[in-house]
Amino acid sequence: MNTVLSRANSLFAFSLSVMAALTFGCFLTTALKDRRVPVDVRVSRVVLKNVDDFTGPRERSDLGFVTFDLSADILLRTLWTLMCPLQITTIDTCGVSLCSRCLHHDCLLHLEPIFDWNVKQLFLYLSAEYATRSNVLNQVVLWDKILLRGENTRLELKDMKSKYFFFDDGNGLRANKNVTLTLAWNVVPNAGILPLVVGSGHSSLPFPDAYETSRNY
Amino acid sequence: MLSMFKSIPAHMDYRGQKLAEQIFQGVVLVSAVIGFIYGLIIEQFGWTVYIMIAGFAISCLLTLPPWPMYRRHPLTWQPALPETPAENREKPQENLKKKKHK
Repeated sequence: MNTVLSRANSLFAFSLSVMAALTFGCFLTTALKDRRVPVDVRVSRVVLKNVDDFTGPRERSDLGFVTFDLSADILLRTLWTLMCPLQITTIDTCGVSLCSRCLHHDCLLHLEPIFDWNVKQLFLYLSAEYATRSNVLNQVVLWDKILLRGENTRLELKDMKSKYFFFDDGNGLRANKNVTLTLAWNVVPNAGILPLVVGSGHSSLPFPDAYETSRNY
Repeated sequence: MLSMFKSIPAHMDYRGQKLAEQIFQGVVLVSAVIGFIYGLIIEQFGWTVYIMIAGFAISCLLTLPPWPMYRRHPLTWQPALPETPAENREKPQENLKKKKHK
């Protein structure tokens, strides 16, 4: 500590260690947080085609086209609702007014922002899940979005087209009874693990029995 | 250029070094606590980092230059013994003898 350089060295090393401890503390404050949010997914139109698939082992595969509506308020979410007589599972656009709708004085809503100080961005994706004769479980990602910190987190998307092709491994989409669409997201933190959260709403729908042969999408 | 920087005296005595270390550790820890609480309240980790960097800059200013408060307890050396001319003549001859033996 006799020279400027040795003093600067020990000062810098100490500051860096303290910074690392602060970052670990930041991770600890949000490690056990529950990040589930109720989500409303509705499908308006489904079109099914059987086309040439150049990426797979067979000649023709099923290609689905799904148009959907998405409604989620990711910024606010409920922590608990006490003694509410109505089974309300989705949040209205104004979360606090839920109390006046159910007309019960003991109903309580506790709202907390999901963009806390340990969240850098959210990666949302909509995936379709179904079972076919050849595969027990298929999961295909149809659409995704990156939500940066500071952007509008109230999603009200109507008549969205899927971003990626909904190719099936084979011909299992025709007359499929149950295809479930769920919205999930990855929380990208500043420090710590990346939790994968599944939204609590989903929509199941059957696919049509016949292929569509028209040329336009 | 570098020799010019090296010739600037930047030493501190031992008590001054201890004081400097205590000062910078205290300043950095206090700014860390303030930054952590402020960032937790306003939900932005960037402010925690900014306050930490400000604390680092303040402690740099306080401890890197050799302020006079770090030189208040200099080491007390024994007074130098005056050298007589007889001792001066004996020393180089002793050195020559030792080198020849090697």
